[in-house]
Parts: sequence; structure tokens; C-alpha cells
Amino acid sequence: MKYFVFRNYTVEPFFKGFEANFSNYEDVSFIDKTADAYIWFYFSPYKLDSDIAAKEIEHYCELLDMVYSNIGADKDFIVFTMNVLYKINYVTSNKVLENAVAKYNEKIYSMPAKVIDISDFYRNFSAEQLIDWKYYFLSQTPVNPKLSSQFGKWFLRQIEILEMKRKKCIALDLDNTLWHGILGEDDIKMGEDYPGAAYRFFQNYLLKLSRAGIILAVCSKNNEAEAFDVIQNHPDMILKKDTFSAYRINWNNKVDNIREIAEELNIGLDSMVFIDDNPAERELVKQALPEVCVPEFPAKPYLYPVFIKQLTDDYFSAYKLTQEDFDKNRHYKKNAERNVYKKQFTDMDSYLRGLEIKLTIEKLNEFNKARFAQMTQKTNQFNLTTKRYTEAQIRTFADNGGLVLGLRVKDKFGDGGIGGLAIITIDGQKAYMDTFLLSCRILGRGIECIFIKYVLTKLKKMGIAYVKAAYIKTQKNEQVEKFYDSVGFVAIETFADSVNYELELENKEFSLSDIYELEDLCESE
Amino acid sequence: MRERIKRIMKEAFELSDVPDDISQKNCGKWDSLRHLQLVVDLETEFDVSFEPEDIGSMESLVKIEEKLKLIGK
Repeated sequence: MKYFVFRNYTVEPFFKGFEANFSNYEDVSFIDKTADAYIWFYFSPYKLDSDIAAKEIEHYCELLDMVYSNIGADKDFIVFTMNVLYKINYVTSNKVLENAVAKYNEKIYSMPAKVIDISDFYRNFSAEQLIDWKYYFLSQTPVNPKLSSQFGKWFLRQIEILEMKRKKCIALDLDNTLWHGILGEDDIKMGEDYPGAAYRFFQNYLLKLSRAGIILAVCSKNNEAEAFDVIQNHPDMILKKDTFSAYRINWNNKVDNIREIAEELNIGLDSMVFIDDNPAERELVKQALPEVCVPEFPAKPYLYPVFIKQLTDDYFSAYKLTQEDFDKNRHYKKNAERNVYKKQFTDMDSYLRGLEIKLTIEKLNEFNKARFAQMTQKTNQFNLTTKRYTEAQIRTFADNGGLVLGLRVKDKFGDGGIGGLAIITIDGQKAYMDTFLLSCRILGRGIECIFIKYVLTKLKKMGIAYVKAAYIKTQKNEQVEKFYDSVGFVAIETFADSVNYELELENKEFSLSDIYELEDLCESE
Repeated sequence: MRERIKRIMKEAFELSDVPDDISQKNCGKWDSLRHLQLVVDLETEFDVSFEPEDIGSMESLVKIEEKLKLIGK
């Protein structure tokens, strides 16, 4: 990723290790068109006169508008907020500077840019640590250049957050983790008095996480019946049995239990965070499952507030949440219900018919663009090429005449949301399947098959003569290795990590099973 | 000490090898921004704080070595 940074002070040291070029100070006359993304990083000017500083900040707003209107909509634009780091209070009631900064920040949050809040970085340091005046006078660095490596790490995490990379599941121990005390030995406490209140605080946090789409699971060494007795019947328990999407409450080792939970939820081990107060259990999991994140546990219950803040920053923050995220926990549970339902049928067809599956094809629009980008970022298993895209990049495909098709899946149990995506570039009579993916929670009902067949039928209708495609191997997408072969594509080149395919559409008919009700919103326009 | 300074220079200037007579004059990569990086890294490595007057005159490996010795490193 090549950045071009607009700035009013020396910020080069902070982007060490990143591929970045920089504007001249306070200059917007040159915009590097070769950059992949732009960064706007302006500091409140270190001026002794607040009125002058405030005027300059107003001027920055104008510069920002000018730049923004000259940057292509296909490029990401990342804007840092501004803070007052230094001010002399001649008159303490004079808030001209603070007001100007507040207005500036309000403005950037109202822009369709991606905003990074710099105060989140400053928070970790004292005022003395933040500015080294020697370096300010020597080379116009607004913040101590010795903080540059910490800044780099923090900035990387912020970019991940903008790209919606977050963990999917938190697996929890019970005794002295979710509540105070050990089942069968102590009184279980999670009431309004300390230490119970601290655990209550933690449970409320977990409930909040769950509502933001993080899956909760229990991984604990207890007797299952006893544990559920507390979960269901303890008057102070905030999380209920149905808040948890999976649980392993037994005396087996936790490494196996975590593996099983990941399998049951159909998520990767690298999407899991494991919380346990017992250092021996943590160490075991860390050793055996290095992909699982195992944070240190707070030394005292009253440290939970600090712990959960760090936990969120490190693993669960998201820039924006889509409706699918909010609904996710429901989906995982619905899937479990579906699996139970599956057992009642012996033949697959009647099972599928009984589900009353309704598939809707929709093209890229304002409402689904965040979800489309998120799927390219997060889908690993059923993903033929695993290309990661931003919203802006996806829009570019559509702008250049390509097809960007989302697949929404509903059945009698509920709306599964958008769970499939195909991105196809078109060049005359040729088409190329750039991306074809399905979210794992909609897999297993023949949906992948009908989706690709429908896409091919659509391409044929559009007059496409042949379609190229590729399978690019990753550590996680082995299950789709033969997917294109299964729908009739011919492998024309085979490499160690990829296969290129071709399919002639002439004389090909794709039978679209009538098990599924299919609606194409692109056609109805 | 010379080796420690060289190691820091290597990284700050992105050089594969640092000659003993390296100076701002004969090293194309030693610009003002990399000089800033060099000073920041030297201060961290040797746990010292240079005065602005010194920073301006630290224009060669030899002079940097002299300066560090002078402040008792």
C-alpha cells in the first residue's frame, strides 16, 4: 500500500517502514496520483496566539476540501483527528482554539473519509512524553520522534480496524472468570457488591460484544449440569444460556475443546480469543494452539475495566458495523437449529425444499458496499482467490463495467443476510471471475452450486462467449480446490499454488434447481 | 562503540556497509530527515540527550564518536 501524506509538520519519522510520500508543508497543490491511498495528518499549530491558530485551522478545512474534491473516489482517504497538545492559557475562558479544533473534527467525521482518532494514541502518553521541544525546534516534529515505532504499531492496528479485521469469537472459562468463586466449593458471586460487581461489569461487557456480533462460547472444566444451573438460575447472572453459541463444559483438556468449538462454529482458530484466569490453562492453549489469542488475565477483579478496554482495542474494535454483524449471533444459533432439523430428513432434496430457501441477487449499492468489502476481507474458506478489497476498490470494478453481485439468503428460519459475492470483470465477449466467495455460515445447502450456475447463466445471457477463472491456494481454502472443475471449467494451466481455468459458454446450459426460489434484483431495474 | 554507531547508521541510512570515513558530505543518503532519525536512534541506544548545537555538528562518524566520548560514553 503506497500512501501519500498531506501534512503541516514533519511526520516522516512516524511512517518509517511504510511506503509513503509526503506533501510539502501545508501544501495541497500537488496530489500524487500514483498513491493507493491518501492520508491527511494535520496538527493544531503551535502558535502563541489562539486567534491566529484558530484561523489557520479554519484554513486547513478549506485545504482539506480542496484535496478531497481532487482525489478519485476509487482511492481511500484516511483523515486523522486533531487535538490541542499545547496551549498557553493567558485567559482561561478563551476557548477559541478548542472550538476551532472541535469544528475541524466535526467536519472530518461528516466527510465520507475514514477517520482515525489520534487522541486514542495520545492517551497512552503524558504531555511531557508527547512533545520533545528540542526536536520541534530542530526539525518541526509536532510529536516526539521517539514515539515513532509505537505510533507505527498503533497505526497498523487502526488500519486493520478500518479494514474490519477483528476476531470473531471469545471463548470463556467460568469459575473466577465469568463469576467470582468456584462451583461446588464457594458461593458464586456476581452481584452488586465487590468483588461480584467486577464480574458483573465483565458480563455486561460480554453482552455488549455479543450484540456487536462477537460470538460467545464457554470452555470450562466443570460439571455441565451444575454450570448450567448457575447460568440459568442464578439471579445475578447477566449472560444466559442462549447468549452462548457453543459450549464445552467438561473435564477434557481445553486445547481439544477449543478446537471443537472452532469446528462447530465453522471458524478458524485464528479468529478466537481465549479468556481464562488460570495461567496453566492459558499456557497450554498458547503452546498447543499458537493461532488462538490468549491475553493475560487481570491480576485483580477490580482491574476488569482496564482489561476489557485493552481487549477491545486489540481484538474486537470495528470501524463500522453492518447489519449482518449485529445479527451474526442469531445466525450461528439458527445454523445449529438447522442442523437439528436436518436430522429429521433422510433425503437431502426434501430437506432443502423444506427449508424454503430464497436467494436474492443484488448488485453493488450504497447499503451493501460495506458488507461486500467486509466479505472479501474476512472470508477464508470458501473463497476461490482470497483477494482482499476496500469499498473503493470494489466500486472501481463496477465503474469499469464489471459485475459485482451479492447473494442474499433467506430461509424459513430467518434472513441470513448477504453471504455470497461474485466479482467479474468483462472485456468484450470474455469474462474473468476475479472473486467468488461464500460466507461459511450459508454453506452446505447447495447454495454455492446454484450461485455459480446462476452467475454463468447471467453471463451467457449478456453475450459472454467464454469465462476465465482461477483458484489461488491459501492455507484455508482447500475445500474449493476442485470447485471450478465441478461446474465444468477446464483447467488450462496448473501451478504449485494456483490453477487457471476456462469455460466456453456456447452450447452450455446450466440447470437451475427449482429447490430454491431465485430473484435477481438487477433484472427488475 | 564505533560498531554500535555503524549499526545504527546502517539502519537509519539503509546502507549495507558503513565506511569509517562516512560523513554528511560523502554519503548521499545522509539527508536532514535521516539525520533526525540517526540522532533519535543514537540517543536511544546510548541513553543520552544531545544539545541542538551538538546535533548540528555531528556530521561524520568520527565527530559522533568524539561527541559521545566527550559526554562520558
